[in-house]
Amino acid sequence: MTEPTMIMPLDDVRVLDLTHLAAGPFCTRILGDYGADVIKIERRETGDPSRGLPPFYKDEPGTERSGLFMFLNTNKRSVTLDLKSDRGRELILELARGADVVVESFAPGTMDALGLGYEALKAANPRLVLTSISNYGKTGPYRDYLGMDINLYGMGGNMIGAGDFDHEPVKTAGRMVNYHAGYVAALATSLSLTSVELDGQSEQLDISVFETATHSIDGRLGRLMGYEHNGHLSSRPTRAAAVASGAHPCKDGYFLITGGARFLPNIIRMIGMEELLEQPEYATPAARANPDLIDEFLAYLIPWTLDRTKAELRVEAEKHGVLGGPLNTIEDLLNDESFVAREYFQEIDHPTTGPVEYPGYHFVLHRPDGEDGAEIPMPKRQRAPLLGEHTDEVLSGALGLSVGEIERLRADRVI
Amino acid sequence: MSSISLSGHKLPLQGVRILDIAVVWAGPYATQLLAEWGAEIIRIESIQHFQATTRGQVVRPTKEMASMRGGMGGFPNRDPGARPWNRGPSFNHHARNKRSMTVDLTKPEGQEVFDELVRKSDGLIENNVPVSMERVGVTWERVSKVNPKFVMLRMPAFGLDGPYKNYRTFGSHMAANVGHYSVMGYRGEDAAITGNTLVADAAGGAGGALAFASGLRYARKNEKGIFIEIASAENFATYLGDFMVDFTMNGTLPVLEGNRHRVLAPQGTYPCSGEDRWLTISVTGDDEWRALCRAMDRDDLARDPRFASHDGRRENHDILDGEITAWTAGQEAAEAMILLQAAGVAAGVVMNEADAFADPHLVDRGFWEALEHPEVEGGPRLHTGSLWKAERTPRKHWRAAPRLGEDNQYVYKELLGFSDEKYREFESDGHIGMDYDPSMP
Repeated sequence: MTEPTMIMPLDDVRVLDLTHLAAGPFCTRILGDYGADVIKIERRETGDPSRGLPPFYKDEPGTERSGLFMFLNTNKRSVTLDLKSDRGRELILELARGADVVVESFAPGTMDALGLGYEALKAANPRLVLTSISNYGKTGPYRDYLGMDINLYGMGGNMIGAGDFDHEPVKTAGRMVNYHAGYVAALATSLSLTSVELDGQSEQLDISVFETATHSIDGRLGRLMGYEHNGHLSSRPTRAAAVASGAHPCKDGYFLITGGARFLPNIIRMIGMEELLEQPEYATPAARANPDLIDEFLAYLIPWTLDRTKAELRVEAEKHGVLGGPLNTIEDLLNDESFVAREYFQEIDHPTTGPVEYPGYHFVLHRPDGEDGAEIPMPKRQRAPLLGEHTDEVLSGALGLSVGEIERLRADRVI
Repeated sequence: MSSISLSGHKLPLQGVRILDIAVVWAGPYATQLLAEWGAEIIRIESIQHFQATTRGQVVRPTKEMASMRGGMGGFPNRDPGARPWNRGPSFNHHARNKRSMTVDLTKPEGQEVFDELVRKSDGLIENNVPVSMERVGVTWERVSKVNPKFVMLRMPAFGLDGPYKNYRTFGSHMAANVGHYSVMGYRGEDAAITGNTLVADAAGGAGGALAFASGLRYARKNEKGIFIEIASAENFATYLGDFMVDFTMNGTLPVLEGNRHRVLAPQGTYPCSGEDRWLTISVTGDDEWRALCRAMDRDDLARDPRFASHDGRRENHDILDGEITAWTAGQEAAEAMILLQAAGVAAGVVMNEADAFADPHLVDRGFWEALEHPEVEGGPRLHTGSLWKAERTPRKHWRAAPRLGEDNQYVYKELLGFSDEKYREFESDGHIGMDYDPSMP
């Protein structure tokens, strides 16, 4: 799969991917990004359940039409296999023998029930990393609880502090809590590969989405310690929590600013009212912490923001070191000056959609592996696989099965 | 020292030394995670330069400032104390297991100390705007000359080039920039009341740690150093990947849905008895819907044909929200969660900090770890524990967050081998100390 010049940190690693939906595939997608050969095992006929989830191309459902699946499964090879059949289980153990990592995201206990628990995998490959991702981890009273993104954010994240004081707590977008757990799982897997290399022994990882949120997905960390320090319980901010803070209206939308006593001077300079800083009410951090200034200052600030566009405000904020950002749409993002100039987005061709732009790499390795130490660019990603697209290739290539054996497996409905 | 292994096995990063010029949260979270798994992290700090929001907002907040809502809170007993920079809640959480040294990088002898540190370390992580690092000469060209096997990770919000390279932002502003608040927010409400989330920083932390680990692996395999770049805003934008692809393939933009799900219904955050108590409920199928109705003792809803499918329940979401609220309002949140989960319905308490520390599941899994800090009176405080569990390499924290300059002796004398005399010289030249200059506000 890898060209010899493309030296990537994980290009000597093979991952057997038994995950589905969001968190697990997000993890293996990243491992694939950085060079791992990811073999994705999918259920026969229907495949990963995310193939049945929106957004669909032109809003029509279909196995090869889910944008969610296409986004989450680049750089993977798809093999369809019946895990519940004896022969299917044997094939998984054979694939595990040639792999460095198995990642799974079944409900706790499922792998054991399938005869594919840690002991069985370790017997097949004593140098394996088994990465298990589940909502609440493999042990504890909530082990078998259900958890959607909203539940896990509410339990683990800073949902109690997210949103507005006069409203209910509000969740983060989409499947963010699960994606973050997947990212953490990729980190855990990568570090454990080092553990295995240090002493040649296998490792088993237990990643709980609940704990990755608590640890913490959204500013939870400082708030937990604040509570430990003085018993303060978080809630959602009121609309004017600190002087100049908030999403303020402007010509074409809103612009978010972080104010407060410390950051106010730069905001004052930005709106050209330096003389305020001469007044005792604004001269010191202690004076600026006075909540009575909140309404007074908004009367200066908002007319100024209303006169400018989001883009103009961003430039002004950067110029004056003001912490702020435009409330952009996804369309704004696709046209964002910085993202476009840095060539962040990647065009990937898929038989269903044709070429379409996808999010780019999480991080860029400036690899000096060209001629005379010149930097070589990051490789292009492979599109998400069609269901079972690589079944024959993997079974013959990785396991050395003959055409006849593969045909029999197909006739027996194992693959 | 680093985190402590509880088995005979080495932690995966044991013996790896990383210099840390990380600020605020994304960068410090990356080094926090690497410290958790065995790396020795040396924070390079300065007693002349105070980076707001890392060790607090201002150097010496007053007691009044510390007690204000939304202000500079979080101090032990709401008292900033003699050295507030050693008592801030975020810093004291993310800097555990790290070391702190001070040096003035704006002076030539500070630059020499920096080179010595680079020679004795495996890598460096920083997340400042590029101009700040250029000002003190912390560049890849330089460190790679000093140590050819060095791994350097830079994580400015918008990358090292491009039109926004020196644009200073927090995670909340990166989130605004990449469109998070066009998805997260209340249905039919003004965007101005949208949440102020810091997920971008958490993503930066996990990503930074993975990027550095990837760099180390590359450096070992190829016996040469590597320079890695994370633009934190780009890194976080991927968390909106499915919305991005919906736009690029269909031209569809998301609308604010509050707590509702795109397909499943009902889903929401419902008030329970008590002040600011909430329960999230997500009904994932028709069986789960009937189970919820049974739990609420509302078989009439289960029989109502309007609510028989997800589509029907989505169309009538407002009615269902009213019915569910009528039930939850009389329930205690944790009891309702247990009841619904037993019935097979996805439900969870919106936990405040007290709920989290007392949560029977987290306690049962040994998630919390106590640490005592020398400038936090009143005994040990609980911290989040390991981000994941590794079966054969369980670990625990080594120590609480370092006070400013706490490890100067170790770094200057033990690690860099400077004499006592030289150490005193560094001290009188303003490199070494445990207090910011009294003139700083």
